Formats: sequence, C-alpha cells, structure tokens
Amino acid sequence: MLLALMKKELLALSRDLHGLAALFLMPILFIVIMSLALKDVYNPPVKTISYVVEDHDGTELSHTLLTQWEKRHGKPLDHADNWRESVQNGTVGYALIIEPGFTMALFEQNLDEQGVQLRLLTDPGMESAAFSAIRAELLMLASELRGQVLLSSVRGAQQAAGNTATALSAEKLIEAERLSAGTRPTSVQQNVPAWLVFGMFFVVASIAGLFVEERQCGALARLATLGVSTRTMILSKALPYLGINAIQSALMLAVGVWVIPLLGGEALSLTKIHWGSLLLILLSVSLAAIGMALALASLVRTHAQAAAVGPIINVVMAAIGGIMVPKFVMPDFMQRIAELSPMNWGLEGVLAVLLRGGRWAEVWLPAAKLGGFALLMFIIAALLFRRREV
Amino acid sequence: MLAIRDLAFRYPQGETPALAGVSFEIQRGEVVGLLGPNGAGKTTLIAHLAGALPVQQGEITLDGQPLARVRQNNPTRIAIAPQEYAFYPMLSVRENLDCFAAAAALKGAHKQQRIEACLAFAQLERYVTTRAERLSGGLKRRLNLAIALLPKPEMLLLDEPTVGVDPQSRAFLLDAVRALAREGTTLLYTSHYMEEIESIASRVVIIDGGKVLCAGTLEDLLRERAPQVRLAVEGIPEDKLKSLLASFGQAEIIGSDWQVTLTSARSAPQLLNTLEEAGGKVLYASFGRRNLEQLFMALTRRSLRD
Repeated sequence: MLLALMKKELLALSRDLHGLAALFLMPILFIVIMSLALKDVYNPPVKTISYVVEDHDGTELSHTLLTQWEKRHGKPLDHADNWRESVQNGTVGYALIIEPGFTMALFEQNLDEQGVQLRLLTDPGMESAAFSAIRAELLMLASELRGQVLLSSVRGAQQAAGNTATALSAEKLIEAERLSAGTRPTSVQQNVPAWLVFGMFFVVASIAGLFVEERQCGALARLATLGVSTRTMILSKALPYLGINAIQSALMLAVGVWVIPLLGGEALSLTKIHWGSLLLILLSVSLAAIGMALALASLVRTHAQAAAVGPIINVVMAAIGGIMVPKFVMPDFMQRIAELSPMNWGLEGVLAVLLRGGRWAEVWLPAAKLGGFALLMFIIAALLFRRREV
Repeated sequence: MLAIRDLAFRYPQGETPALAGVSFEIQRGEVVGLLGPNGAGKTTLIAHLAGALPVQQGEITLDGQPLARVRQNNPTRIAIAPQEYAFYPMLSVRENLDCFAAAAALKGAHKQQRIEACLAFAQLERYVTTRAERLSGGLKRRLNLAIALLPKPEMLLLDEPTVGVDPQSRAFLLDAVRALAREGTTLLYTSHYMEEIESIASRVVIIDGGKVLCAGTLEDLLRERAPQVRLAVEGIPEDKLKSLLASFGQAEIIGSDWQVTLTSARSAPQLLNTLEEAGGKVLYASFGRRNLEQLFMALTRRSLRD
C-alpha cells in the first residue's frame, strides 16, 4: 500500500512541470548565476583593474615605484587630460598621483609636516575589498621604498640599500591563509551550499500543492475510508521527497563541480571533505524541509494559499538565514536573527563540511536542531491532518 | 443489516446540529433512496457510514456490531462513490485504479482481476491510459464508481452520482446501479432527481434539518399520503369555487387547473357531485396519488435553502 501511494506521489510530481522547475531548475539557475555574479566579491580582481598615472615628481625613485607597480598590475592606460572624469564615471578603475615632493618626503625622518605626496583616487563604485587591497599594496611598496632611502642615507652605502630594505620587510615572516578543507573560499563554494539548502526547502510548494488538490477533490477522504492510516499517508509523502532531495543534492553538487568551470567560474572542491557528515546534514535539511511542507500543507485550505504561503516562508527564511546575503556581512543583531532560521542551521552545517573541513563534531549541532524542527513539524502535520478529517 | 439509532452530530463551530437523532435501517440487498434538500444532513450521514466522521451520539451497527469496530477489521465492507471526483486528475485511469486498489489492500492477481472487472463494469477499457483530468464528465463519474467498486463492497454509498452528466451517461449509471442491485449489493443512493429514486429505490428515507421526516417503501409512502384531484371547472365564480373545493381539502391553483389534496380519498365522488350541483361543468378531472416530488415538497416545504 505504501509503495503504491509513494508511486502515486512521484507520478503526480513527474507530471507537474512547474513543480519540477521549482525543485531542480530554479536552484541550478541560482547557483550558476550567483556563483558567476559574485565571483569577484570573493576574489577581487585588483590585478586587472585599469589605472592611470600622474607622476609630478618625475624622479628616479618615483619611476622605481611605478615600475614595480607595473610589474604587479600591468601597464597603465595612456595618459589623458580628462582622467579624473574617467575615474569618476568608472571607465578607469583608479589613478595614482605622485606629487612633486614625493622623493624629498621619502628622505625626511619626520613625515608629519610633509603633507600627502602619493594619492590613490578610485572609481566611486569600486568594491571595498578591492579598494583595501590596492591601498594596502601601495602602502607596502611606498614603505619599502622609504626604507631603502632612509637606510642608504644613514649608511651612505647605496649599494647595500636594496638588500637592507628587503631585510627590513617582514613580508617573508608572515603567511596568511584561510583554513579550509583544502580549497580557498570562492563564490561557488559559498553559493552551492546556500542555494542547495534553499532548493531543498522548495519541496514545500510541491507537497502542499498536491496535498490541497487531493484533499479538495476528496481523494484523501476516500483513502481514509479505505482504511489508510494517517501515518501511512504522511510516510507516503515524506519518503519520495527524501529521494527528490537526494537527487537535488547530487545535481547541485555536480553543477558546482562540472558546470560552473565550463562557464568561467571556479569549480566546487569536494576534496578532503567528510562525506558522512555531509550526508548527515543533508538528511537533516531534507527532513526539516519535508516536515515543514507537510505541516504547511495540512494548514492551508486552498491552492492559492499553498502557492503563496510556502514560497513566501521560504524566501523569508532564506533572506534572514544567510542564503541570499551571507551571514558574515550582516550586522550583529541580524546575525542573531539569522540563527533562528532552519535554513541557516542547514547552511552552516553544509558550509562547515564543504568550507571548513568539518566532521561529526562540527555538524551534530545543526543536524540536531534540524532534526528537532523536523520532529515538531511532523507532529504538527499529524495533528492538523487528523483535525482536518473532522 | 445496517441500523442507525438516534444518530446526532454537530460540527465544530456548528450553530445547529447537522444530525439530530436520525434512526432507520437498511436491509441486506436493499436499494434505499436518501432524499433531502441542501443542508438536510445527507452528506454528514453518508460520511458517518463511510467512516469519515466519528459517532458523537447514537449508534450505527452493521450486523449487530458497532460500525467503527467493523471498519477496523475490514474497512472496505462499505464503500463510497462521493459526489466529488475523488481521484487523482493527473494520473491515468489505470494508475488511479492501481493506487486505490492498493489502498484497499488488494494484492497480486486478485488486485488485477478486480481492476479489470471494474474497468469492464464501468466500460472504461478504452480509456485506461487517459489521464483522469482529460475525461468527460460522464467518464469521470464512471471512474468514480469503478474505484468505489474495487474492493467489491457489500454496501455502496452513492452520493448524487449523476450530477452534471448527459442523459446517456445518466442512463448508463442508473443501469449500472440496477445491475449492482441485482447482484445483491446493498445501495444507499442520494439524489435530487426524484424520478431516479422512484425508478431504482425500493425504500425511501426523507430527511431535513438533521431529522428523518419519513421512511418506508415507496409504495407505502405514496399510498399513505392524501390523494389528490386535479380538475378544470367552468360555470362557477372563482371565489365560490375556491370555497367549495376548500371544504374537501387543501385547494390551490396549478396553472389553469385546480389541485385539491383531499382529506379523505373517499370524498372524490362527493366533490364532483357538489360541483355539478353548484352549476359547474367539470371539463376534466384526474384522480391519483402524489408523486415522490410532491411528497418531498410537501414534507420539506417550498422555502429556499442555503
């Protein structure tokens, strides 16, 4: 009996093109579009941003600075009188302006009275991470140059200056690395988990839609008169959608691994991840999504309610749960709100595995939260289901 | 076989009880017509018999056992063909039958045999692969009936099975009901079409306001009620004619005729004599019992229902 009812559920879904699109096409599109659109947010392309140079100093040292900058960022654009306007409207990324007193200032021990001698003017729309990266790099180059100049003037040993200046730099003492499962964070690594969780929760629309339809036409009541228990009816809906969520997960991960690179993005890395933990957290997300779908399906009365309420709740949960906007860019109070969203529990669990190399210890808490939520939803669904029969 | 005693039911938030002490019996193999205006309590009563509503007050027994216990052991002894198309529109005819046969705990070869038998009975063999949503109204009614027959129930509840179908499909469905009755299936048939009930039911139960207004064989119910005379008279002024007729019973004008519900069947000849003595000429007169519709209207009144 259970198998026949599960088959009915899958047949009904297979003939619902809108439902299939919402379950499979929509999250895939989100993954592809958002991964490509946000690629540069996670990896600012500072080396390829166009720039112009205004060297009013015109000395050997200012030339040295610009030569080193060219090595890192390529040649500047040809100089034009209207460069300021070009930077202002974004056709040129930034301008480096070296003032006439730049070289003199490098030799001064006290810089307080020298005023600004090196300016960085950027496109107003430049992303803040790129701005910070360029500014830091420029600061480092100028500092190195000043180190060379000061030491050479103290020792009078021009030849040794280069080596000493290099010795002054602490760059070689420092290594900065994001700890991860073997890959650095990219937009794909962030977006696949986010939209995968979002897509899994979209079973709400399909489950609720068919549920309302069969209740309205009397098919559910007919099944009840044939002796089909509430437990069997709920199971016959939950089990097929566990399978649907599994297919969704495999498909979304495959898109991240194989499709995104074909479109110019970076591939999703699954190396060194703990597959058991990933399966646990995905199963928890699936149960939570199906439980919520069944509770909602038992609550709504009409097709219009089913079509509207489910997606609205999903979008709100996604918006506050860090799916649409990463949690780390939210202010503190919003981050606390985000932690109330089951989608956030799922997202944090999947990110823990895919991004931070998490294992059982890192996923048990979000998995337990999702499991508790799922249990609560299943109980509500069963109670509402029985109440609606009267 | 099936006995309903003092059955009462009130829906949550219901201002008045949907059923207020309904009692009647249905014998094995009977075809019982259940009549009542909208809101009379027919669907609530059917839902009780189908096991879709719990008994709040009173009792329903099948062969002396409480119906709830009978249904626990074998939920398919009583089946229902509901008024709605209670099947899955996106599934084909066979897929629907497959699904509901499995839900009725039919298995293996027996399940296939029942599916084929029901397809044949409802003459749906040509449509097995057609999605239910693409069937005509008549075919949908036939599928609804076929699904109900899958477990081969002892008793079948038919809730307005001919609503919205063309005359051909209606005739087919009525023939099917008669065939089921011949095979010994007990039938409880609700309809607003009185002629359907008259043509297939051996007993009639009329309910309104959650109460049974009358129950009995069609013959008894129509015989028990006062006979009527329908006549056309000339030569007597209308006021005088009305007072003359009213002295024999309730008189009312139906079109150009007068209809008199006599207080006694034996007074018909006396009525005619009285009219002639008053100088009237009886152009024609028909004497007979009321039909079921007239009985129904008399019992349930003419006021419109919600």
